[in-house]
Amino acid sequence: MNILAQPVGVSHFMAVGAVLFVCGAVCMATKRNALGVLMGIELVLNGANVNFVAFGSRYLRDLPERALDLDGQLIALFVIVLAAAEAAVALAIALNYYNNHATIDVDRADELKG
Amino acid sequence: MGLKDERHAVRPFAQQIEGLQADTFQSALLFAPELAICMTIVGLLLVRILAGRRVAGAAVALVGSAVGLGLAIQQCCSTMPRTEIFTGMLVYDELTVFFRIFLLAFSVLFILFTWRSGIPDREDSPDIYTLALGATLGMCLMASANHLLIVFLAVEMASVPSYALAGMLKGRRQSSEAALKFSIYGAGTAGIMLYGISLLSGVLGSAHLPTAAVRLAEELAMSPSGETLAVLSLGGLMVMVGLAFKLSAFPFHFWAPDVFEGAAAEIGGFLSVASKGAALALLVRVALGFGYLPQQPAAMPPGVTVALSSAEPASESPVERSRIAALPAGFAVQTDEKLPAATEKAPGESPLEQHAGADKSHAAAARTVPKTRAERMAALAPARSFMGYLIGFLAAITATFGNLAAYGQTNIKRLLAYSTIAHAGIMMMPVAAAMLLAGESATGTAQAVGAVGFYVVMYLFMNLGAFAIVAFLRNELRSEEIADYAGLIHRAPGVALCFSVILISLLGLPPLSGFVAKVVAFLPLADAGWITLLLIGCVNGFLSLFYYLRVVKVMCMDPAPDDAPPVRFPLLTSVNGWLVLVLTVPLLWFGVLWSGVWDWAVAAARSIL
Repeated sequence: MNILAQPVGVSHFMAVGAVLFVCGAVCMATKRNALGVLMGIELVLNGANVNFVAFGSRYLRDLPERALDLDGQLIALFVIVLAAAEAAVALAIALNYYNNHATIDVDRADELKG
Repeated sequence: MGLKDERHAVRPFAQQIEGLQADTFQSALLFAPELAICMTIVGLLLVRILAGRRVAGAAVALVGSAVGLGLAIQQCCSTMPRTEIFTGMLVYDELTVFFRIFLLAFSVLFILFTWRSGIPDREDSPDIYTLALGATLGMCLMASANHLLIVFLAVEMASVPSYALAGMLKGRRQSSEAALKFSIYGAGTAGIMLYGISLLSGVLGSAHLPTAAVRLAEELAMSPSGETLAVLSLGGLMVMVGLAFKLSAFPFHFWAPDVFEGAAAEIGGFLSVASKGAALALLVRVALGFGYLPQQPAAMPPGVTVALSSAEPASESPVERSRIAALPAGFAVQTDEKLPAATEKAPGESPLEQHAGADKSHAAAARTVPKTRAERMAALAPARSFMGYLIGFLAAITATFGNLAAYGQTNIKRLLAYSTIAHAGIMMMPVAAAMLLAGESATGTAQAVGAVGFYVVMYLFMNLGAFAIVAFLRNELRSEEIADYAGLIHRAPGVALCFSVILISLLGLPPLSGFVAKVVAFLPLADAGWITLLLIGCVNGFLSLFYYLRVVKVMCMDPAPDDAPPVRFPLLTSVNGWLVLVLTVPLLWFGVLWSGVWDWAVAAARSIL
């Protein structure tokens, strides 16, 4: 089934969400700068958010009673707030790391041998 | 249809608001211990502004968490049925109460211990206790989560303050590195978990766990297409990623040794006991939430039943009612005109859905939608075995890996970190057994879940004791290397003895409580007939023998170097010594008289079935 030939439904939004998720995951795995990794995390969270909002809509689902309704949108709002809080803490930690090490290269965080 | 439309159209808005008000108020009463913790956090922040440094942060935190613990214990005495509070976001049952008491008791002991060990100085202590209590609040929510949003929020509430706690030693290179690694791993796995939650809740059409489980049963009974199954199992695996990070289970354990070594020993104790206990409770909630349907649907908070159910048709199934309850309450009125479509038909009954289901799976038209609990439970069997084998597999690798990696360690905190990983593996084993037993025997399941609770309580005394001794010895010796403990038995006999008892209990030799905990954790595996995992568990007990006993040998048999600094740590004449005793004596006590805690844990587990 070619989804480009279909009317816009939840699967199109899921495709966008999946692309965001994969971009974020690749970014987390390959970036050496801690800030780049944090950006990847934001992309992953937003990929999930696109899914939540799409799943929340009755007009996109072929089974309207299976929509998450306002739950989906509220979860998205909570996630936005939480992502901001998490980014604030992670940036503070990155700054503290920079103060002690004069770098934020995650590959050079190897004094503790995981 | 028309009649119902009319009824919904005229459903009085005020009545619904009243119902929600009553729900919130009644729920808040059951939520009192957590509210006490919230008040303490506010108090801690205010104390700094109003009283400056005259009032110690530890005192405020101690009073607050003691009040919380008192409220939690008081709830333990009343017999409430399983109740969904805050419109189905949280569930209140005896397991919630059990883990709440565990977490709050831990936080009281933790505050006493950090107050004596001196890591939070007077300048920092309000900050540190704010963070620690915030994380404890998140852990309490983890133990009572009933909705996938709460699962995610609670994990984040517990994690984010922990990242900051790990980096609490501000000038230290190692501490900042530990915090950076912890926050990046944690945020990454939380993102993956959220994506998994979005897939699961989207496909099942509900984020409310009991409703999602019913939908999952329907989905599985109608022989779903390969794609649906792939999406569901992918979602399940991604949620497991987030849980495995919190449990420090095998592929996501890297952070644990680094964080434990880099952060202060106090924080290691916090992460290894409270965080692990809450993560296990959450694992039980999520796994049983998706794989098991309780015999009785959860009740509404007292006084709310009338108000909310009068707003709904009387004949609806309990699941539908809870679905309505799970709707974001304040907003329900805006979707009012659409609600009839969702409430009137039981899911799967509508011709539209039957048709679509048949369309999807081509051959499913003959299958019927499961109606009774027994049919649904039977339909959930594949989900249960998927989760059971996944958890059991992770548990086996985690325990073996943790024990093998602990051998080469020279730093006591790293050794305890690997020991924590190994214990997390052992504690996951009864959860795996519970998933396999859930379809067959309620007693077996209750014992398996009870074993998790029992193990966690025993683990509190063992591991908090171990980290307390490490922290107090650090203050004396200025070292956390195992080699520096040489000859401790001559320099501080009482402490060396206590530490030996704790290590032997972690190892699991009778007559200490670690042995009882291991036995009750392994019995459900035999019950479930999973002999391979049982053997792996026993081999692991043997593997852990050497590294724990190596520390005991260094302390008791190796001669102390001549230039060793003196250790002033009398067991009976100092507060620190008494704290260590309070954590050690229960190991001997519960090693013999364990039945009280065991019965309580099993009763708590039974309340969720």
